[in-house]
Amino acid sequence: MHVENLPAASSQDPSQGPSETPPGADRGPRAGRPVVVAKGVTKTYGRTRALNGVDLEVRAGEVLGLVGHNGAGKSTLMRVLAGLESCDDGAVLVHGKEVSGEAGPRAADFRAVRMAYQETSLCPDLTIAENIWVSSRHCLPRMRWRRAASDAVRGRLDEMFPGHGVTPRDRVEDLSLAQRQMVEITRASLVDRLDLLILDEPTESLGPDAARSLYDYVRRLTAAGTAVLLISHRIREVLSVADRVAVLRDGAVTAERFAEGLGEQDVLTLMGAHVAVPSERERAAAAHAAEGAAERPVVAELRGATGPGLREVSLRVGAGEVVGLAGLAGQGQQEVLERLWRPVRRDTKVLGTRAYVPGDRQRSGVLPLWSVAENLIVTAMRGLAKQGIRRPAEERAAVGDWVERLAIRGGADAGITELSGGNQQKVIVARAFASTAELVLLDDPFRGVDVHTKTDLYGLIRQEAAQGRSVVWYSSENAEMAHCDRVYVFRAGRVVAELVGEEISEERIIAVSFAESESDGEQSNE
Amino acid sequence: MNIRAIASRPWIWGFAAAVLVWLVILTVSGQGGGQTVSLALSLAPYLVVVGLGQMLVITAGPGNIDVSVAPIISLAGFVSVGVAASSGSATVGVLAGIGVGVLIAVISTVAILGLSVPPIIATLAAGLVASSVTLTIATGFTAIPDPGLRQLLNVRPAGVPILAVAVAVLTGLIVLLLRRTVYGRSLIAVGQNRRAAERAGIPVARVIATTYLVSGALAGLTGALLAAYIAPSADLGTRYLLDSVAVVVIGGTLISGGRAVPVGVWGAGLFFILLDGLVNLVGWSTAAQNLLKGGLVLFVLFLAGGGDRAGGTASRFRRRPRTAAATTTTTGDNTHG
Repeated sequence: MHVENLPAASSQDPSQGPSETPPGADRGPRAGRPVVVAKGVTKTYGRTRALNGVDLEVRAGEVLGLVGHNGAGKSTLMRVLAGLESCDDGAVLVHGKEVSGEAGPRAADFRAVRMAYQETSLCPDLTIAENIWVSSRHCLPRMRWRRAASDAVRGRLDEMFPGHGVTPRDRVEDLSLAQRQMVEITRASLVDRLDLLILDEPTESLGPDAARSLYDYVRRLTAAGTAVLLISHRIREVLSVADRVAVLRDGAVTAERFAEGLGEQDVLTLMGAHVAVPSERERAAAAHAAEGAAERPVVAELRGATGPGLREVSLRVGAGEVVGLAGLAGQGQQEVLERLWRPVRRDTKVLGTRAYVPGDRQRSGVLPLWSVAENLIVTAMRGLAKQGIRRPAEERAAVGDWVERLAIRGGADAGITELSGGNQQKVIVARAFASTAELVLLDDPFRGVDVHTKTDLYGLIRQEAAQGRSVVWYSSENAEMAHCDRVYVFRAGRVVAELVGEEISEERIIAVSFAESESDGEQSNE
Repeated sequence: MNIRAIASRPWIWGFAAAVLVWLVILTVSGQGGGQTVSLALSLAPYLVVVGLGQMLVITAGPGNIDVSVAPIISLAGFVSVGVAASSGSATVGVLAGIGVGVLIAVISTVAILGLSVPPIIATLAAGLVASSVTLTIATGFTAIPDPGLRQLLNVRPAGVPILAVAVAVLTGLIVLLLRRTVYGRSLIAVGQNRRAAERAGIPVARVIATTYLVSGALAGLTGALLAAYIAPSADLGTRYLLDSVAVVVIGGTLISGGRAVPVGVWGAGLFFILLDGLVNLVGWSTAAQNLLKGGLVLFVLFLAGGGDRAGGTASRFRRRPRTAAATTTTTGDNTHG
């Protein structure tokens, strides 16, 4: 239980030995003993029933993939399995011992269960090493813990994410989203004894290389007997890594399959999703729209914009057009959105009003003390008001409309923080579209949103565009770009390609984004 | 009445405390309960007016506080009395007091928004400017407050000072301002999450500027009225710095911003005035009084710190509200089972 154990945990890792497991070589059923078992777990929050009798078994040495819509109860289940919350009914067993006592879960029982959170659990004002101390202090020495924590985290980061570009002395606040996620995963894995590692959407902010090296590490971990529970919306990714896949739907596990031989379509069907492929008609409309693009009045324009993160970017947005900004994360797309949101420079021309849908909803989306209705109407309120006085009747009507149109669960009067992440995101999206803004800027807003919600929101975007609204849409998920009329692909702050109508395809975007770097990025970048 | 109902009406505590202190005064002095209330009602409005301004500033979010209210009150007192004496009109005097408050607030606002100085430093600096001007004016100041205005402030039909009624109306207007106007909603949004408010299209800088200017104006108004009621002096406003923050906090307004409780300022204001009376009755020194008040503020913050958004930064990265909800459910289960 001391510092030697921290690096030791990695030295017993098979990667150091000759027996490196080839990815996917020993996939398939492996009957390890159960590490954590959930039996009929039920959990309610206020009016919401998050879990409704979940039975799940995670066995030693396997990767169990967990898929389901947002709001299906994944996050809650994770919190129960990690011992952060007690369940109202049912039982959680760790190594066959029931640990869900009346008094709530005890930390000691769950010491060997670690979780990497989707919205990281790191303290922004502390350094990486200090954060390691916060979560792993029971295996660090009392004296000189900073050095021990630094060594441990540096070693593990190098091993998991070669080329991560951070040092243990960096403050978490100064890290990029991707780096924060890497540190979060590393933090979770640094412990003297690890029986179960829970990864909640680990690759949402990671690039393809980092994702690949993470999964390599996961395979090495399981080969050493640790169980890994992987939650992700990227179903192909889950299928390529997991041994088994469990489907969570409306708070219960509705299917459990071996990953081998299972296709993406099968999983989507098990999840009960309508697959988000644009229909022929939509395609045709998009192509038609693209043809007409030249004659559209220009709503916004960048002419040779250069600055931090941008080099000679020229683009144009027509009225009623959906313009996509694609490419790998952090290539200048967000800088373009920033220019359009606050057009102060001379190279940017924006006519008309704007609305913004942030992707980082906790930090720049949600107003936590307010209800759904108040959150939704805050932007539109300005347009509806007369001489600065609000008009409650009109606001209520608009809120009612949008809550119904997007089927926001919980209704208008629920507190925004009572909602699941997907439903919160719906509110944030509705906030922008409920306003009269002529140009709506989307900053990767569907990150971590379930397929069902996404499909609804894609439909919404097309409808709004048909009514003459312009949309500029940055997405890290290339498949989403199929819903755009025109797509600009970014690399290193430049526009490297402009794709129109039929030309827009995932393969094409990936090909262009990776033109200069290695070309096998498709595998993990979906 | 369960805990949730009280939690949704945080202003109850101030009034409850005020009643409690009033009862203690009644037992100690054994006479004149109504008179005590009447006196409290004639002193509390000054504190409430400046407190309302402070409340708006604190509602604008973490870090926002106006420490220039005390020097503004002193300065506005001199300016309004001086202007009233030279122009012969008390109204012009009061307007001049408000104007000088706004002027000092302009300095704070420029420093906060233009130079990105933290609000506490910016308002401290602006307050120093006000103090220096006050000292310059105070030497050889001979004008006396307008007798008409003084009489008006002392009118108490049926024991209720008309100033108290006027300030009650002002409080009502502030409630409407926060609920029914675009500015009020924007201010509350900015206080909850500044980044989100900015992305939602709220002109954050304009909202914050307006807030400090209103706070300055209300402090100026307090100074003008107080100088007419008592007399202008260089330390007229001194006690109002701590008191204005205290009544906001005790009134139930979130110190981290995003939730304003104007009615609570009244409850807490009455509580403070009555507490002053009680402590004087018992014969405590001013130092002991201040000790008591400071302790009270810390105690209330301690009580409030457990819930809501005490760790604003942390909650952005972790799902605090969920955990909080879970805790309430478990405690509920325990009491039932």
